[in-house]
Amino acid sequence: MPECNGANGGRKEEPMQLICISGRGSMRTKALAERLAHKLGYKSLNREDLIEKAIKEGIQVGKLEAATIKPQIFTERLALEREYYRAFMTAYLGGKAAESATVYNGRSSHLLFSGIDHVLKVHVVEDESTKIKAEMQQLGIDKKKARIYLHDVEADLNKWAYSMHGASLEDASHYDVMINLGHMSVENAAAALSAIAQLPDFQVTPASKRSIEDMVLAANARLLLARDERTFQANIKVRADRGIVNVTYLPRDAGIAKIIPEVLVPLPGVREFSVTMATTNILWVEEDFEAATETFDQLVEIAAKWNAAIELLQFVPQNAGGQEQLLSPDEPAFLEQRPGFEYECVGGIEEEGEVACEDRGFQAAKEALARLGCFGGGRRAVGSAVQIVKSIDRSVPYSLMVIGNLFLAKEHSAQMRMTRQVQGYVSDQINVPLVNAEDLKRHYLFGSHDFFKLFGCLGLFSFILFLIFTYQEQVLGFLSGVESKTRFLAAVAVFLFVPTMAYLYGNTARLLMTKLIRME
Amino acid sequence: MHALLGNMFVSLNLSTALQVSLLGFVGGILSGFIGSGGAFFMTPGMMNLGITGVVAVGSNITHKFGKAMIGSKQHGKLGNVDRRLGIYLIMASFAGIQIAVWINSKLFEGGGDGHGAGGSAAADLYISMVFICILSFVAVSMLRDALKSRGPDGDQGPSMKIANFLARLYLPPYISFPVSDVRISLWVLLVVGLATGYLAGTIGVGGFIGVPAMIYVFGVPTAVAAGTELYLAMFMGAWGALNYAFQGFVDIRLVILLYTGSLLGIFVGIYGTKVVKEVLIRVVTAAVILLCVLSRGIAVPIYLGKIGWVIVNPHLDAFLNTASKFLLFAAGISGTVIILFHVIRAYRKMRRIEYSLRGDQKTEPSSATVRLDMSEAN
Repeated sequence: MPECNGANGGRKEEPMQLICISGRGSMRTKALAERLAHKLGYKSLNREDLIEKAIKEGIQVGKLEAATIKPQIFTERLALEREYYRAFMTAYLGGKAAESATVYNGRSSHLLFSGIDHVLKVHVVEDESTKIKAEMQQLGIDKKKARIYLHDVEADLNKWAYSMHGASLEDASHYDVMINLGHMSVENAAAALSAIAQLPDFQVTPASKRSIEDMVLAANARLLLARDERTFQANIKVRADRGIVNVTYLPRDAGIAKIIPEVLVPLPGVREFSVTMATTNILWVEEDFEAATETFDQLVEIAAKWNAAIELLQFVPQNAGGQEQLLSPDEPAFLEQRPGFEYECVGGIEEEGEVACEDRGFQAAKEALARLGCFGGGRRAVGSAVQIVKSIDRSVPYSLMVIGNLFLAKEHSAQMRMTRQVQGYVSDQINVPLVNAEDLKRHYLFGSHDFFKLFGCLGLFSFILFLIFTYQEQVLGFLSGVESKTRFLAAVAVFLFVPTMAYLYGNTARLLMTKLIRME
Repeated sequence: MHALLGNMFVSLNLSTALQVSLLGFVGGILSGFIGSGGAFFMTPGMMNLGITGVVAVGSNITHKFGKAMIGSKQHGKLGNVDRRLGIYLIMASFAGIQIAVWINSKLFEGGGDGHGAGGSAAADLYISMVFICILSFVAVSMLRDALKSRGPDGDQGPSMKIANFLARLYLPPYISFPVSDVRISLWVLLVVGLATGYLAGTIGVGGFIGVPAMIYVFGVPTAVAAGTELYLAMFMGAWGALNYAFQGFVDIRLVILLYTGSLLGIFVGIYGTKVVKEVLIRVVTAAVILLCVLSRGIAVPIYLGKIGWVIVNPHLDAFLNTASKFLLFAAGISGTVIILFHVIRAYRKMRRIEYSLRGDQKTEPSSATVRLDMSEAN
């Protein structure tokens, strides 16, 4: 059983380079991973090692695979097992990378560390004909069957990756490098990767170090909760932020709120933790957070309605300029500064400790949310919109993402335009409802517009109801006519009338139940 | 209760109108909680109020049309609707609905005077029998799953027998559905669509077949199955509504009264799924459906008597009718009470926490958020 803090038993070790080689797990891919590890003097790990340890831990990996690959309802218990496995993988690989630089050959580990810049993510592909030949030799089947088999295996792997990480294996944006072993030898591929691994882009930076440490800390916290018999059945999400561990649990598991701190006490590396009850998460992206703003109050109100936790993401744009700068994670030429706000030009996902500034607004917002019982964690993304996307944990069930005021150093019109561009880019990448701060009230809170709509719809509906019951004999006579023409007209009338009534009363019910009574 | 226009439409007084609205409310709560259309409660409920089976089904399917339209729009915004899959299923389900409407109207006409009482008994018997068979199967499967999930091996999930069996068969042509990320044989699609349409047209509960079929047989993600089913239900409801309205079997008053309850109840039910444990959701659902089935079963001798297949003592007839009505309302109301109990408790708890947090905001950390400084400990 791996200890807390990965495999190092709580010993504080510096994270080292991790290279994730993802592919179908063919012999040549394995050979490449081993050759690369040998060249760099790194430790080599593969999926079989991980699975063996996971099974020893008590995780039912086989059942998880069967459930994700075959058409089946993913039960709540299996979903918890998946969380457990994700936490285990993160803790195990993160722990190993803390012990020594590692090359890991697996299926989808690149997705696990998608927000960590120093982790080199390699996709290994081979020509279809090579793969078919290998399957024919290995399984002793003909070409047609080998092709079908290969297609099925690839579809299964994709389902697995999607279920585990919410992303496709075929999405090239999650990789740093793609190597085609059909076009080069294992030796040359290893040499090329070895050279790439030496590039400054893949070295550990303070920001990436902090990110991976937090990721491993959160994973270790989740592992402890999964191992404890009092909390193993609860649906819990754990985030870590500069050693501050934030645990969210569902309202139905309210009984474990006091147990969680007891379970997490032995966890090394924790500075502080908060335990928040939440059914879902709202992600709020802002450049300059303030607790005493309308957006803050509105979000707290929505969070209370939804039993949601609000997660803060402070976005610090690296550069001014057009779309290229907005979306490119390139090294900036200069860094804009706002009064009282200084930051290093490092890029990536950071925590506030990395930045030289003391952003009191961010701290105040976090503390205010914690007091209100809806704090879901806080982090900082420096750079471009790409960094916002990278910083989003796809396993967290976000119900809403709110983009607040960004690019504050710009004049108003430029601010609006650039914020809109960021919003467009993020909404293309993330499958979560996304609104800007101005639209928040209109969409989710009860305003004067809703008041008029509610009473307008209710009034019209009541009036029509009154007319129908006043003239019910005539209405029913028309609806049950015997002539073809009358019957046709009756059918058309019902077809048009019913959706209208459903719309009128549906709006009334929605506004009443969700916005006024706040049962959402 | 007085009859309007022969024996087809009943006269509605305030009490009956409130009962129909209550049926809608209970059906809406069950619908939001269980994820089905709630027709398994509303259709027999209306029949117990003296409304003929065919009018109850016609009005309910029309009610479902508008409701599904609103629901499908909401799901569509969240990307939970596979329109391509929906279109294929719609084509097959239309044929299923057409068969159902044809059988219902033939039974209705064949047994009596066109819009008369004798015919309605045959149609009622037929609807009741289909209702009993299908829903017994659904409820028993659900209960078995729920009880199994409480056991030590509870994480196995539902049976994979059907999916595994179909996966072994090679039934070309296959069609790909990128939104759901599945490939399905056209023949399997047609069978499922036909069955869904037939059940929607007969008893108004196509969702009981459509959603599990999409999950178990096609392998569609649960959220997409629910969204696509609503999309499908919208078209099936529209088609069913047009057909039943053309035949003169839609009572628009009932449709509107059902809306007054169901569209409110559905929000309560959905809220309930967030605050009630999954096992309890399944147990409550299965128990409610089984009681509804029992209620229908008790009413069967009444219809048999009306047709003249058995001789039923008029006193027994009245007793059976009352017992059927009682069981149905007991099922719906007890299920609703359990859901409401949990919903209100959770709602009050949320609000209490919210108010106490707002009150405590300026003084000390709340009870919901436990903050401990661990720096000393480590």
